[in-house]
This record gives sequence, structure tokens and C-alpha cells, in this order.
Amino acid sequence: MAGHQLIDDYLAELARRLPADDVDELADGLEEAFQHYRQRGFPVTSAAAAATAEFGDPALITRAFVRRAPGRRAALALLASGPVFAALWGGSLISAHAWTWPIPHGATAAFGATLLVVVAALVAVALSTSYRRTRLAGPACGLLVLLDGGMLAAVALAAPALSWPMTLAIPASLVRIGLAARSIPRILVG
Amino acid sequence: MRPEAQALKGHLDVLLLAALADGPQHGYAIKEALREGSGGRFDLPTGTVYPALHRLERAELIAGSWSIVDGRRRRSYRLTDEGKRRLAGERANWREFARAVTGILERNPWPATS
Repeated sequence: MAGHQLIDDYLAELARRLPADDVDELADGLEEAFQHYRQRGFPVTSAAAAATAEFGDPALITRAFVRRAPGRRAALALLASGPVFAALWGGSLISAHAWTWPIPHGATAAFGATLLVVVAALVAVALSTSYRRTRLAGPACGLLVLLDGGMLAAVALAAPALSWPMTLAIPASLVRIGLAARSIPRILVG
Repeated sequence: MRPEAQALKGHLDVLLLAALADGPQHGYAIKEALREGSGGRFDLPTGTVYPALHRLERAELIAGSWSIVDGRRRRSYRLTDEGKRRLAGERANWREFARAVTGILERNPWPATS
């Protein structure tokens, strides 16, 4: 790097907020900008100030990265589709009289608590201004896969018969399991 | 946000693709190509161009690769075949749109109605 304190401080601020690869890419661009101003005759300190000003406030850059973070996009998609799944599974469970199924109360309570944790995590990611927090969507997707899997297992083991709402809910959950599982690596490394 | 940046919002993707039409570029060079190509009107905060490039990469319209330049890691981007197709389509759409708008804006003034 140019070795100017202003640029080093700027990159250190970005490094606290963004993944290492993104910071490396920004650092290269910042050096290009610094050299660009030096070639135009700016003194070193003015060139460093102009380069950092051209890049923009670190908070602005972070917000731009967060808006497009894979974790945030996944969280928004899952939250937006949540009411559809709630309606599908709610209809399925009511139509099949799920309260009569031989499922331990502890398992039902654990399912409900985990669902609340997942929703809370997805809301936190959707509202987050921190890039690192968007990675919370990875574990949330993992838990959601387990919840969908648990619901499918409950239907397979405990439901006396398939109701018509289940014919919609089951494929919907299978699709969500596939999409959520596929997005986890992208969220955790993105 | 500056008016130019606001106007740019809906067109940023295609302009970034166009900046790569002549070959691979790194992020800062792409941003400079936008600024110079627009006569200085499209001068975005440079740091915000990178997330847009990452989004295009996730959409597989461009492909990025790392290299080492002067001891620094550099990420450069090139158009994918899908990106080339998208750019060609967007260019055709834009020409059609511009022709239609020009046809309306540059015709003779409407006659007075009363």
C-alpha cells in the first residue's frame, strides 16, 4: 500500500466491517486512486485524502456491501415466503388434526422455540447494517432445513393420511430445503 | 445522492457490463471508465461500485479472477457469454427506447389549441 496513515486507517476501518477478500479488492482500488492523484501532481497527503474521499465513507461502503450480501438476500427471501409456508403447514396440520398425533410435547415445544429463533435471526439479518451479522443467515438456514425435515418426518411417521394441503406443503418444504441448503456455503463465505 | 447518481441507479448494471466490453478490467478501472465515458457525470462513490460488480458476478454475467500486481492482490472481471448476450440485448432495447423518446422530445412544438 501507499503507506500513508490516512489510507491505512481507512482500510483498517473497512477491515473491521468487511470480509478479507473484499478489503483486499478495495485496497487495490484505493492504491490505484492514490497513484492516480499523485500522477496529477497532488502532494502525498492530499492524494491520500482525495483517494479516500473518492471511495466514500466506510459506513456507506459497508451498507452497499450489506445490501447485496448473500445472507441478507436469503433472509429477505425466507421472510417474504414465510407467510406462505405458515399458511400451507397451518392448513395441513389443522386439516389432519395434528393435535391428535402421537408426538411428545417436548418435541413440539422444541420445534416452536427453534422456529422463533430462526425468525428472530432472519429479522436481525434483514435489519442489520453489519456485514458479519448477515452470516447469521447461514446457521438460520441450517436450522430451517432441520425444521422442514422434522415436519416432513412428523408427517411421514405420525399423520394417519395425507390431506390435500399437505400435497402443496410437502413439495414446498422440499424445495425450501434444497434452496436453503444450497445457499449456506455462499452465505458463510460470501 | 447526486441527481446523476440517482438517474444512474436503474442503469448501473448495463453500464458496468459495457465498461467490460473491450476486455477484462479491475474495479477502479471500471469506475474510471464510467466516469470518463460519461464526461464526468457518472462519478459514483468508488467503494459502492464493488458490491454491484459482485452482484453481477453472482448472476454469472461477469467472472472475476485474482492476480498479483505490484505485490497487491487484484480482482479483475471479464464478461461471460451470458453477460455478452445481456449487454447486446440491453443495447438494442436502449436504442429503441432512445429513438422513441427522441421522436417525441424533438418534434416540432404542439400547435396552440385555442
